[in-house]
Amino acid sequence: MGGTVNSIYNNLSFALNLQTDTLFRLQEQASTGSRINRASDDPSAAYRVLGLNSQVRTLESYADNIERTLSTLEISLTVIGEMISALADAKVAVSQITSGIYGEDGRATAAEGINDTLEQMVSLANTQHLNEYLFGGGNTGSAPYSVVRTDGKITSVAYQGSYENREVEVAAGVRSSAFYIGDEIFCSNDRSELVFVGDTGAQAGTGTSSVRGDTWLTVTGSEGNYSLSIDDGLTTVSTDGTDTNLAVTDSRTGQVLYVDTTTITAAGVDLVRAPGTYDVFETLIYVRDILSNEKGLSDTQVEELCSSSMESLEEIRDYLTEKSVSVGSKIGFLEVLANSIEDMKFVTEDETMMLEEADIAQIAIDIAREEILYEMSLAVAGSLMSMSLLDFIG
Amino acid sequence: MSDYSIGISGLNAAEQALDVIGNNIANSATEGYHRQRIELSPNSSLRQGSLLFGTGVNVDGVARVIDNLLEQEILRQYSSLGQVDRELVTLQSLESVLGEFSSEDSGLNAAIDNFFNSLQDLSTNPTDGVWQNQVVSDAEVLAGQFRTLGEYLTTLETEIQLEVENTVDSINSLTSQIAELNEQIQRVEVGGGTASSLRDQRDKLISDVAALISVETQSRDYGVVDVIIAGIPVVMGAATIELEAGLDSSGQMGISVKGEANYTTNISGGAVGGLLAMKNDLVSDIHDDLDSLAAAIIQRINQLHVQGVGSSGSFRELTGWKMLSEDVADFGSSVGDGSIYVRLTDTSTGEATRHEITIDASSDSLASIAAAFDAITGLNAAVVNSKLSITADAGYEFDFLPAVLSAPTASTLTGSPPTISVSGIYDGTANDTFTFTVSGTGSVGNGTLQLVVTDSSSNTAATLNVGSGYEAGETLEIGNGIKIALTTGSLNDGETFEVEAFADTDTSGVLASVGINTFFSGNGADDMAVCSAISSAPSRVAACLGADMTDNANALRLAGVQDEALSSLGSLTCGEFYRQLVANVGLDVSTRDLEQGNIEMIVQNLESRRDDISGVDINEEAAELLIYEQMFQAMAKYISTIQTSMESLMEIL
Repeated sequence: MGGTVNSIYNNLSFALNLQTDTLFRLQEQASTGSRINRASDDPSAAYRVLGLNSQVRTLESYADNIERTLSTLEISLTVIGEMISALADAKVAVSQITSGIYGEDGRATAAEGINDTLEQMVSLANTQHLNEYLFGGGNTGSAPYSVVRTDGKITSVAYQGSYENREVEVAAGVRSSAFYIGDEIFCSNDRSELVFVGDTGAQAGTGTSSVRGDTWLTVTGSEGNYSLSIDDGLTTVSTDGTDTNLAVTDSRTGQVLYVDTTTITAAGVDLVRAPGTYDVFETLIYVRDILSNEKGLSDTQVEELCSSSMESLEEIRDYLTEKSVSVGSKIGFLEVLANSIEDMKFVTEDETMMLEEADIAQIAIDIAREEILYEMSLAVAGSLMSMSLLDFIG
Repeated sequence: MSDYSIGISGLNAAEQALDVIGNNIANSATEGYHRQRIELSPNSSLRQGSLLFGTGVNVDGVARVIDNLLEQEILRQYSSLGQVDRELVTLQSLESVLGEFSSEDSGLNAAIDNFFNSLQDLSTNPTDGVWQNQVVSDAEVLAGQFRTLGEYLTTLETEIQLEVENTVDSINSLTSQIAELNEQIQRVEVGGGTASSLRDQRDKLISDVAALISVETQSRDYGVVDVIIAGIPVVMGAATIELEAGLDSSGQMGISVKGEANYTTNISGGAVGGLLAMKNDLVSDIHDDLDSLAAAIIQRINQLHVQGVGSSGSFRELTGWKMLSEDVADFGSSVGDGSIYVRLTDTSTGEATRHEITIDASSDSLASIAAAFDAITGLNAAVVNSKLSITADAGYEFDFLPAVLSAPTASTLTGSPPTISVSGIYDGTANDTFTFTVSGTGSVGNGTLQLVVTDSSSNTAATLNVGSGYEAGETLEIGNGIKIALTTGSLNDGETFEVEAFADTDTSGVLASVGINTFFSGNGADDMAVCSAISSAPSRVAACLGADMTDNANALRLAGVQDEALSSLGSLTCGEFYRQLVANVGLDVSTRDLEQGNIEMIVQNLESRRDDISGVDINEEAAELLIYEQMFQAMAKYISTIQTSMESLMEIL
């Protein structure tokens, strides 16, 4: 037996419910353009989409980090470039003195120029970008360089920044720092043999000295009883001229100079150069002081010292150039990395879209089919309901 | 006069058959109604000589057209459908609350990502207030999302509990009605009658119970049916046993005989089966997973955060949160034997010292820990309202930074040794003590003087040249983030000095557990929050680990938690764990949706089959109506004919 009132109604109701559900889903997909509107629509694809969304957010974070790092590095590169340029100008000024074109007045003017360059250098070394100091290493909150002035002129420049790099993550497992440690940028660190310029006959001892840049070694006394000092006589070390490795300490800085005293033949003042240890500021201070001739040296001596300081300036300029190349390389690397990350982000978003995107054409076809099925269910039920034996019972 | 009897029996039978047909048509749309059929049989015969003559028709009764096996199967499927329906509705609502896919940046997945990405941002500018505020803001969003989900699940569990209790009340009411009907049916059928309509009413009630919970039925004499639920005979004839819902000792919800509190929890079928599965397994598991995720983030972030400092620097005062128990043994599994290393700085000299507080998890209490802090000169500590409070004396500050102290912690150097400066941020994974042993004798910067660095396991970590070629003051790196520098001075062969390196300044886990310098508060999803001290002062977001407190080492460590496979999360990262949770909920919904469709289809087929057997087809009833109408008319004609015959006979007399 079939076709009871209840069964016809139940079949119709069941079919209409199914078709309504399907139409609702299709309508939702058509209106959102997405086939995944909740995890249950496709759990495995949903898991992947959530993971890909996280990946996109992480890549965006890396891209932001790179952008900020690049911005800082580009400013740093500009600053270093300006320093190189200023050092080149200083070198030209000193070379004019060395060539003997200028007399004492000319040297004084040149000293003023070098002093201005020094001020500029300190200012550049304390450059801020978005309220952060560029050359303080991990400490970007306070000026990395402080100066001591005497009569308004800078007599020493001290690094007060951090010796720790502040690295940020720019890609998975890749870290890069945006802020340089000033002491590593503006001070070369490739110590080589000491050079003694002067007439005392003193030579380098066997120990590794810690004096940096240029140091004045003052030898007083006479054969068999010399006194040596590197802090303008504040402290002296005596020798009978038989020490091959005498430690002479600067009481102000703690730096030590190892001297072979056996070759000393006369008292006097030697300039001790430590190639590979020059820093921008001390070199400029030294050059300025030479030009100012505060030690009362002869013109020849001044020219000789100026000539030697050319090498210091050259060394520092080369060192800064080397660093600028290094910064440029890092910028290049980060730009390549930024492009890679952008590509990865694009591919990830594309994959997400492929997983999520609804097939509109298919939806249109499915909706049309469901409409027909819906109408057929109603028509069949109506037809079944309209047929009855009762119509024929008279 | 048997002729009259035959006619009257036929008239009666036709009349009763027409009644049954009328009743069938009247109930053609009644839910649970089973078509009835009049059962007729020939009356006993009369012997007349050698011949037997019939005596008419007998109405044996009115029977329901029913397939009992089919009815049992329908009951079973109703129970399954009831369970799946309930589970599906709950899971769909849970899936909506999770909120993934509703928009691009909605949901917990995005909140987790945003929090860790803001920590990455902070690492680029660890002292910048904007990024500190961003971290706090994203952390509050994250905690808020956890709380919303946690509170929803708690409410859901409470609602499920109430719904089970209400449903069990409904079951009790239905079983009571079934018992009453059993009694009525028995009374009718013991007297020889048939109680088809009563049976239909009772069976409808049993099917209503089956939609609520899985039932077994047992038929007995005189139409009585016993009903058994979860092994409990809730209906035995006219007697009933009431049920109650409640929680067993392990917090699982179950059903028991009222008043006995002996709960059966593994009940399947019907809405109750669905609700219990939700309460005891699905919702409870999801809630547990969410709590585990929140707890893992809270614990790991706090564990790292307690060791760092923010741009506001070291502390003058820190107060933890109120502990339910002051015994360390009750602090949870994340706390064990270990040490807390507190760094105390004399602000007038800048000198920092480190002090160790040893924790014995089995015997220590908040008070004993406070006493240990209090015993350190420069620090005061107390337990107030079950909260650990540590304050520094005037002129002192404290923190728990793992930064190496600027000088060796132990030394056997004699004579005029160099001054040794230690710096850097140790990047090892375990606390260690590095011993520097002098090889050779002489002045720094001269000869073949070396320092051999060994760790606490006597493995050589590095060999450093401090002889010729070493410039006094030059920084030497050991290779694990620690750096040393020596001034001029003399060293003697075999002399040593030590540097303590810290990867973790709270190996006991106590600080994170009691809320000292923590970032998050709470134990799970329901109560997760950003500590008020951090919310009110974002500069306390501990981004730094170094002694100069300007680095971003802790911000990087905190951000790195995003990629850590955490053991408490089954070696998954936070994001992976949550995504798996969402996918599992989606899979549960999808599976139940499919299951529901299948069961609905089965029920639909079974109901169609039942309608085929027991349903009322108006056309068929109309056809039968014609048959019995004609039978009635024929019997009336028969009686009339007999009457006429009798009158003719009487006329002869």
